[in-house]
Amino acid sequence: MSESFEPKIVAFVCTYCTYAGADLAGTSRLKYAPNVRIVRLPCTGRISPMFILKALQKGADSVLVSGCHPGDCHFAAGNYHARRRWTVFRALLAFTGIPEERIRFSWVSAAEGAKFADLINEITEDTKKLGPFTQYQELQKVIETQSSY
Amino acid sequence: MGIQEQYRSEAAALLSSGEVKLVIGFGPGSTADRRRPLFARTPEEAEKLVLDPACISNLTTYLVAGGLLSDGKKVAIFLKPDGIRSLNILVSECQVKPEQVVIFGYAIENNEIRPLSGRSIGDFAEIGSKIRTATPPPAVQKEAERLEAMSPAERFEFWKEQFSKCIKCYACRQACPMCYCRRCIVDVNQPQWVSTSSHTLGNFEWNLVRAFHLAGRCAACGACDRACPVNIPLRLINYRMGKEVKEAFDYHAGESSDQKPVLASFSQDDPETFIL
Amino acid sequence: MTRILPKNKLDDCIAAWQKAGYSVLAPVQRHDMSSFDEVQKASDMALDLILTERTIKDHFFPQTEPLIKYKISKHDIDSETMTPPDKKRIFFGVRPCDASGLAIDDPLFGWDYKDDYWFRRRNNSVIVTIACAEADDFCMCTSVKLSPDSTKGADVMLRPLASGNGWQIEAVSERGTALLDTVSPLLQESSDQAAPVPQVAEKFDVEKVMEWLADPANFESQFWKDISMRCIGCGSCTFLCPTCHCFDIQDEGDTYQGIRRKNWDSCSFALFTMHTSGHNPRNAQSTRWRQRIMHKFNYYQGKFGVNSCSGCGRCTRQCPVDMGITETLQAITNLPR
Repeated sequence: MSESFEPKIVAFVCTYCTYAGADLAGTSRLKYAPNVRIVRLPCTGRISPMFILKALQKGADSVLVSGCHPGDCHFAAGNYHARRRWTVFRALLAFTGIPEERIRFSWVSAAEGAKFADLINEITEDTKKLGPFTQYQELQKVIETQSSY
Repeated sequence: MGIQEQYRSEAAALLSSGEVKLVIGFGPGSTADRRRPLFARTPEEAEKLVLDPACISNLTTYLVAGGLLSDGKKVAIFLKPDGIRSLNILVSECQVKPEQVVIFGYAIENNEIRPLSGRSIGDFAEIGSKIRTATPPPAVQKEAERLEAMSPAERFEFWKEQFSKCIKCYACRQACPMCYCRRCIVDVNQPQWVSTSSHTLGNFEWNLVRAFHLAGRCAACGACDRACPVNIPLRLINYRMGKEVKEAFDYHAGESSDQKPVLASFSQDDPETFIL
Repeated sequence: MTRILPKNKLDDCIAAWQKAGYSVLAPVQRHDMSSFDEVQKASDMALDLILTERTIKDHFFPQTEPLIKYKISKHDIDSETMTPPDKKRIFFGVRPCDASGLAIDDPLFGWDYKDDYWFRRRNNSVIVTIACAEADDFCMCTSVKLSPDSTKGADVMLRPLASGNGWQIEAVSERGTALLDTVSPLLQESSDQAAPVPQVAEKFDVEKVMEWLADPANFESQFWKDISMRCIGCGSCTFLCPTCHCFDIQDEGDTYQGIRRKNWDSCSFALFTMHTSGHNPRNAQSTRWRQRIMHKFNYYQGKFGVNSCSGCGRCTRQCPVDMGITETLQAITNLPR
């Protein structure tokens, strides 16, 4: 792959912890890779697997899902539910051949600005190594063309 | 008296006493090796009921279709262990009131019918407890392992070929007793999460959503797989999802009628090895 | 003496057609499914199949087809019409029921508005029908006044030889004659007899059925509820039908760009007739099944003078709950008059 490949990373984060953590990274003037696009949601429990599929379909090379540490959920248990869902969803993606390395999960609290910055840097580096996610994009191209007969 | 005759006369008695409004069983099909669902509303119709090793479909689908049980009346139904397992799931998800269902249980062993004793879901606890130790069909397990040994790219190719056949007839959904949503996510168009077009990408979306919604809820009855007119091996995905909830959460769908749905519950010490 | 195509000349035949610029499509068994797909040699073909699971309709009226690509910008809208490729195709080994299906659908796509997507493909295709040597329990072509060796919809007709060494070959349309001219050196004159045509029993009396359906008193009959009770409302019978032609137009994309597509739709689905208000005029599965039967054996007949069923039997063969047209029409035939 070319040197200039800059991955697109979509991060689905909860507003109470990880979004605040990202904010802290900013106010602390921490520098991290500009490859991430953050989508703020009320809770990780709100994150439907459809979000992840759509992000990959619309051109994301990696997806990050992040929320409050277990026990810290603003809604008491949203992240526990989400955790179970991700376990199953990860297995499903892996079984259908969508590399699980593309979907990353993390807990980042409002106090962990540095962890957020490190995380984004790490995912960006890893995704650069993986290269662009083309499987879905190829399918996307196919649907824009007429059948060959 | 054979089991078929015994169940026939019991069904006729239930209907004539008015205890049940309907008996859902099997009748002769369009060819010698087919059986089709039969709905008996009168003792005379109950005489047409058939029970033999060709009765393989899971009739629980009909319990949740079209508000059948909404009048509070009772229905009798022919179920084999996977049907009982599905009923357990439906009861645990509050879709069916167990007291409304009379069960004519049977098992198919070595091409013969064996009756299962008990008439209400509570009588079949043993069936549920057997799920823990049951081994999956060797052919399914072997094929799933073959896939898992592939590289992700090869696996993706495999499913791409399979899903490209999909015509979105939704026979898998309609045949499944667990697909009881009044409005399926694919029929929702604001927002349109799943493309209605059956190109390979849209088919991927549909099949992943279907599999995910059934994770930890599948009784492995194989109805979807048999219903698929283009022979997509849905059994493999369902098996893999079942294996995941078993290994990660020690969860066995349909084990009992009072278990909590796996993705609607949690434990504080659920595994999270993959979380950074 | 008749002209025959010997089996061992089929490879040369395919090569000659390819040289003449045709793609050759034939029954194949691929990825656990039988359908029509492009072949390169005779051994790719699965000609012994009684019937492919998928119909050739798929290649004339695909399950999803892009129509228009559009882009909306601040001041204007760009759109690009997408048309199917002008590619010459030969469908080799089509069963008479599938070929008839195309002929049955022609008036529909040509009535009022002429559907370019259908006719461009139709005009570029030559149908080589092969008479059946075998039938199964679900075949019902004779019940809809067709036969296992019907030439309806065909350009070239093949009849298998009793010896199994090839086929009697005969052009039944101008397009067919032109096609045979391209391979005339490969054909032989022979007195070999054709294999007997299988007997397909008549399963229902279509005249009686049409008469019953035409009586408005039967529209609200309890019959419809009883016969369709076990229908689970999937679309497999309609999507595997060689004549079902209902479609839906969908815009797929976001606010600024997308593709307008033509997708198969099925009268079995509740969503098919659902109004925006939430009201559904066909609010029970029985009314949807009634629509399917009425459309095929009453409305279509009234409009185009032909029934929209070619008797392939796929609706019953593939039905998850063993329903289908045969059972319903049999039941109507046997109703007390």
